[in-house]
Amino acid sequence: MAASTPNPQLRRSVTPWGSFSWGYSDVGADIFVGLGLVLAAAAGASNVAFLFAGVVYVCIGLAYTELAATYPVAGGGQYFVMRGLGDIFGFIAGWAVLLDFTIDITLFAWTAVDYSSQLLPALVNSTHPWIHFTATLALIVGLCTLNVIGVRESTAFNGFVSALDVLSETCILCFGFLFAFRPELLIHTMQTAWPSSYQLMLGTSLAIISFVGLESISQAAQETQRPASVVPRTSIALILTILIFALAYSNLALGMHPWHPIVDAHGHAMAFWQIFPNNPDNQGKAVALLAAQVPIWGALAAFYVPVLGAVLLLISSNSGVFGSSRIAYAMSSANLLPSIFKSVNARFRTPAVSILAFSGVAVFELVFAAFPSLHPQALTIYAHFFRNETGLDFLADLYAFGAATSYSFVFLGLIALRLTDPLSPRKFKIPLNVPIAFRGERAEFPVVGVIGFAGIVSILIFTLFTHPIGRIAGPSWLLVGIVLYFFYRRHRKLPIFRSQPHDWRKSQVEILRMAGELELMDEYVANLKASDERKAKAGA
Amino acid sequence: MLLVRVALAAIMIVLGATILIRMLAFGLRAETISGIVLGAAMVALGVHRIATIARLRGVP
Repeated sequence: MAASTPNPQLRRSVTPWGSFSWGYSDVGADIFVGLGLVLAAAAGASNVAFLFAGVVYVCIGLAYTELAATYPVAGGGQYFVMRGLGDIFGFIAGWAVLLDFTIDITLFAWTAVDYSSQLLPALVNSTHPWIHFTATLALIVGLCTLNVIGVRESTAFNGFVSALDVLSETCILCFGFLFAFRPELLIHTMQTAWPSSYQLMLGTSLAIISFVGLESISQAAQETQRPASVVPRTSIALILTILIFALAYSNLALGMHPWHPIVDAHGHAMAFWQIFPNNPDNQGKAVALLAAQVPIWGALAAFYVPVLGAVLLLISSNSGVFGSSRIAYAMSSANLLPSIFKSVNARFRTPAVSILAFSGVAVFELVFAAFPSLHPQALTIYAHFFRNETGLDFLADLYAFGAATSYSFVFLGLIALRLTDPLSPRKFKIPLNVPIAFRGERAEFPVVGVIGFAGIVSILIFTLFTHPIGRIAGPSWLLVGIVLYFFYRRHRKLPIFRSQPHDWRKSQVEILRMAGELELMDEYVANLKASDERKAKAGA
Repeated sequence: MLLVRVALAAIMIVLGATILIRMLAFGLRAETISGIVLGAAMVALGVHRIATIARLRGVP
């Protein structure tokens, strides 16, 4: 029983803090997952891996900020790319984002259980794989059910958890850097535990997963009043906060003198970062382990950080369920996906089909990731084909692939939109622009966009080179999507490689009007008029 | 709430400056760059937050 609704509009009621916390609860949870994986892969160069990915992330964040403030619609990357490069590229970017959202559901539910296992040892994956699997599955099914019946966490709850987490992380960093951090130990670790080039590339490609979720900036933009003013302010604070936490944790982990001595099986003293390689259980709860080793505050943090981490990760997992249905709705509305993905359940008034479909993909990914730990006989197959990549590694692989692919297209979309749509007023612009003339209009070429594109493409190459599953499953996902797109567009008698006709001028006026950006709307209309007059004169 | 936000921003600036100074004591080298960027980013975020609060409160 599904029925379409006549273009319902979202209420614009998100405050600046709401906009920040929306993004933070999505992107801020990533470091809880990424830290352990990167420490295991890049060892003494983990902070360098985070720095490289962080610089690329700042460029991506600035690109999203400009695009979301200029085009405040919830479609996010998919919409920007479709508008800048055309329908098929918009589909590919959106399909890659959908992959990330489905992984988001599984990965964050998985690590929420990992963090809980710090207080409940029965949930440890290596010793109780079936309990771990059942708990993760129960979380995914629970979130899916809540979303189908229309229960979402409120913006106020998001805001509360985000505020608590920012406060908590600031305290951990304060105590850590003031009482446990030794710069000389950091330098020593970097010199003695520098990884091979392969491991550094692997670590860098994993570090990007600490910065995924910028789609939330554009999703928040659609529900924020006067987004052109609010989004840049909150986004810059968000970008810097996330960057700081990622760099701070990685530097602290490498240069920290642990509060409680850590010893190996033979009683030899170990550095803190050495507890992560070859230990997937520790990799899944790195921030909780680090917090417990911070002097003084660690006594308290050992108990609350696992709980706070699990809650934040659960919110992020929920944003995967919710976000995938929203992107699918936007793609379906743009004729990139079948209309069934924008159908709304008559009883619950939610996009139940989308939620069930993408949660189903998430469950499939969970089964694939958990299979070797549930059936150890399968390990030989995984060892033969996927270099033993299972569990968290497999999920992180695909997450990195989806993020790098969609972000690459967003940079191209940004550059294309600067050239093809110079008349849209941009209240926030990425710095470093070169003025050029393009098709009779004055445009500004974004140098940072090119730098960011080069950075993210290199991370995509690292991902394909170092992730055995990512280089098979990732492109396969895209290929399956393109085939579906081909058949759908052919069935609807729509152009496959070209775009269907769009009236971007009219839709931009409508977007700005709906956003309450009336001054920008007037400016845009005036720009259009002046441009048309110029062209008419030139034609005459 | 405002007081907490200003206090957090001030802590960020102090902590960032401390990290910056401690890392710079070892000179500008490959091993210290990440820490220097971290310290600078913390100072920048603290200043950005205080500037935003001041602007919203109408402080000239």
